Amino acid sequence: MAPFRFGVLVAVVAIAASACGGATTSSPPASQPAASQPAASQPAAPSTAASPSAAAGTPKNGGTLVYGLPGDMTLADPSLVSDSNSSEVQLNVVQVLVGLKPGTISELVPVLASDLPTVSADGLTWTYKLRTGIKFHDGTDFNADAVVYNYLRQKNAPKTLQDAYNYYFGAVFGFGTGSNLKSITAPDASTVVMTLGTPQSNFLLAQALPQFGIQSPTALKAGDADNPDPSKSPYAQGQGGTGKSMVGTGPFMFKEWVPNDHVTLVKNPTYFDAAGAAHLDSVIFKPFKDKTAELNALQAGDIDIAQSVGPNDVKTVKADASLQVIDRGKSCNLLPLQLNNAVKPFDNPSIRQAIGYAVNKQAYADAFYGGLAEPANNWIPQGTADFKTETLPTYDPQKAKSLIAASGVPADQLNLTFTYPADVTRPYMPDPKGIAEAVATDLEAVGFKVTFKTQPWAQMVPNFQSGKLAMWLSGWTCDWAGPDNFLISAFFYFTSDGKPNPQFSYGPADLKAAFAAGLAATSDAAAATAWGSAQDILARDLPTVPLVNSKVPAAAKADVMGYPGAGNLEEPLYPVWLNR
Amino acid sequence: MGRYIVRRLLAAIPVLFGLSVILFAFIHLIPGDPASVILGQHATPELVAQVREQLGLDKPLWQQYLDYMSRLLQGDFGHSIINSRPILDEFMRRFPGTVELTIGAMIFAAGLGIPLGRYAARHVQGFGDGLVTVISLLGISIPIFVLGLSLQYVFAVQLKVLPAAGRLDPRLAIEYHTNFVLIDTLIDGNIPAFFNGLTHLILPAIALGSIPLAIITRITRASVLDVTNEDYVRTARAKGLTEKRVDGRHIMRNAWLPVVTVIGLQVGGLLAGAVITETVFAWNGVGSWTVEAIQNHDYFVIQSTVLFFAVIFLIVNLVVDVGYAFLNPRIRYS
Repeated sequence: MAPFRFGVLVAVVAIAASACGGATTSSPPASQPAASQPAASQPAAPSTAASPSAAAGTPKNGGTLVYGLPGDMTLADPSLVSDSNSSEVQLNVVQVLVGLKPGTISELVPVLASDLPTVSADGLTWTYKLRTGIKFHDGTDFNADAVVYNYLRQKNAPKTLQDAYNYYFGAVFGFGTGSNLKSITAPDASTVVMTLGTPQSNFLLAQALPQFGIQSPTALKAGDADNPDPSKSPYAQGQGGTGKSMVGTGPFMFKEWVPNDHVTLVKNPTYFDAAGAAHLDSVIFKPFKDKTAELNALQAGDIDIAQSVGPNDVKTVKADASLQVIDRGKSCNLLPLQLNNAVKPFDNPSIRQAIGYAVNKQAYADAFYGGLAEPANNWIPQGTADFKTETLPTYDPQKAKSLIAASGVPADQLNLTFTYPADVTRPYMPDPKGIAEAVATDLEAVGFKVTFKTQPWAQMVPNFQSGKLAMWLSGWTCDWAGPDNFLISAFFYFTSDGKPNPQFSYGPADLKAAFAAGLAATSDAAAATAWGSAQDILARDLPTVPLVNSKVPAAAKADVMGYPGAGNLEEPLYPVWLNR
Repeated sequence: MGRYIVRRLLAAIPVLFGLSVILFAFIHLIPGDPASVILGQHATPELVAQVREQLGLDKPLWQQYLDYMSRLLQGDFGHSIINSRPILDEFMRRFPGTVELTIGAMIFAAGLGIPLGRYAARHVQGFGDGLVTVISLLGISIPIFVLGLSLQYVFAVQLKVLPAAGRLDPRLAIEYHTNFVLIDTLIDGNIPAFFNGLTHLILPAIALGSIPLAIITRITRASVLDVTNEDYVRTARAKGLTEKRVDGRHIMRNAWLPVVTVIGLQVGGLLAGAVITETVFAWNGVGSWTVEAIQNHDYFVIQSTVLFFAVIFLIVNLVVDVGYAFLNPRIRYS
């Protein structure tokens, strides 16, 4: 054989041999979804907060935790961000008056307030008593004036900062003279009084977000934090270090931010509450755009925890004795099968009911979520405040067929156009194509005919928001675990002229009334009644079909202890310690 | 020569101007907009319209373009629409990362490719030539994505001899002066961090350099073969010169030219295009910044980075052309 060809042959054989020889080691994590396996679903663990290894002994102090995030922080001012990556960093540094118990999504506990606030009978005046003796990370005092300053700077934000930056303040209260926060005052150094225009039942839960965290007014002023152009605000740009940005009262302090490379937080040595003090010396957040690379970094020991891994990587993590899967307690998201009730045949209630009976939610939960999902039978997840158990259709293809027959809808109107995103995944939808195909298979088994359409997400969102889609996949991850966040903010909000929004064209008068009563409820009992009624109405009408509640899997080194996994991804790191 | 360079630089100006207009038009043709990206799942039509107005995105396109160009001509590159970080600052942070990665990749590609190419040429149609051909084919055919993740998996996860990602172990706090990790650690005399930075560079440099390696190997082989068959090489041998002399003074000196050209052009491509390597290895660079900006409809970032890439290509082409004239005295530019 000619030497050249012989050389080629040897090279090819050598490469093939090394590829086959590598088969005994586990292959790199695949990026294709696993074939559907009818594994038993795992019930959601009761919300006892910590990771499975938390029970292992007394916490050790010290060490640095390297934390992999899906993306970088956007700005170093918690009031100007609305993405979960920034929040996950900043909730360690700034604190709110009343927050969430770590590891839960709706249990409120006082943080900077000494107790839960009192509210007047009409639900309009809320009075907080504050803890005393607390200092910001720049050494200045935390007091009622600081709280007032923080709230007013958001309420009076210039136009350029309003919805693009101070999104959550706008969503909860609104801005300027039209804001529902009519006034906020400090009668003395440890009392804050907030007065509303109309009662708001989401008042406490929504303000648990780090966007309502209290920052040092001295540092805010010195760093030009209220500049209408955040690119010109040293505070927001975060290049000055400790005491110059993200200046809160939390168990961690901001140290350094190299944009797109890492954010470093260090332990606050003078934190006011010994029980809530950090064990770790420091935390470094590192952004990873690629999930496989992040998992490789975790397995290699470059990072200690990955905030989210793909569902198909859960098996890999479980098989690795040096790693653990983090349990995230209660889910705070929902994937429904979305139906535009203005489009035939979804205007027919029997057809919608038939779809409800046709879909095998358990199968989707088992196949696409790494064992970390459950069928959804409500439009709000189970851990949400005011959740009510409803009876929705269960998997029964025969019943679906008879409902279709009884509906009177002719066969040629059973053609459904089903849209799913071509280019993104979402925490509640890790495999849009797989899920869409599974749903379509179930629908076709009962007599529907499904045609797929894919669109880039950036195109799909304005399309479904404006009512251009008939049937599609999109869901919601909670901002706060309240019924209003799912039922109104996410799905069935009414437009500013009082009409049902064009996504679903669904909004009966009794639902509108239930929403209004729920939002304005002044007692827990009234809220439970109103929101319960809203859930009953939705169960009655089944405008869309809830499919799955899921929890985003996280993975960590096995020696990371005490991680308070929570379905809303608000996970303070002060309880975490390293068993090294 | 000086006049030639000046003429080339002046001719670049209308090219860049025309590019900025075309770019601006194309970017705005992509469906979707930054307001939706900023709002994420909160993007109701009402809010999107409000945010567009708040960010000045509802102005007529020609006015937005003029605002942008007038700021640019005053040296203000603007800021990201999505995260409000000034573009010039971001660029000065990211570009050194891309440069370090490019230099590492080219050292790997040229350092291995040129000797391999010469070896293949000297053993043309032999066993060694066959091996080298397969290596080249692999380099050019394996997607960088696959190669990068595989290198990570083998060397970082399984063998644990190299780090998986990043420019430096984040646990090592260093002072950033130039944003070149290797330079900054040397400036501070932080030798452990310097070597840490070097080990972080190895895998991404190999992944990124795989395609240039293949190209440089083949070009070197072809160029050396070309020159070896020239009359003057035969004459040199006939004169009785040692093979070493023939190789060094006659073959390589002439074979360099196309190789240098290719290396120069590859550098230009790498500076602009290390997107996948940067993503896989969480390497803070300009390529991944551009792709994120496109996905996020971050208009000003896209404008700035693509214009920057155009400038890089223009400069690199100019340097290669001028360099060629220096290397080959027979070339004269008028």
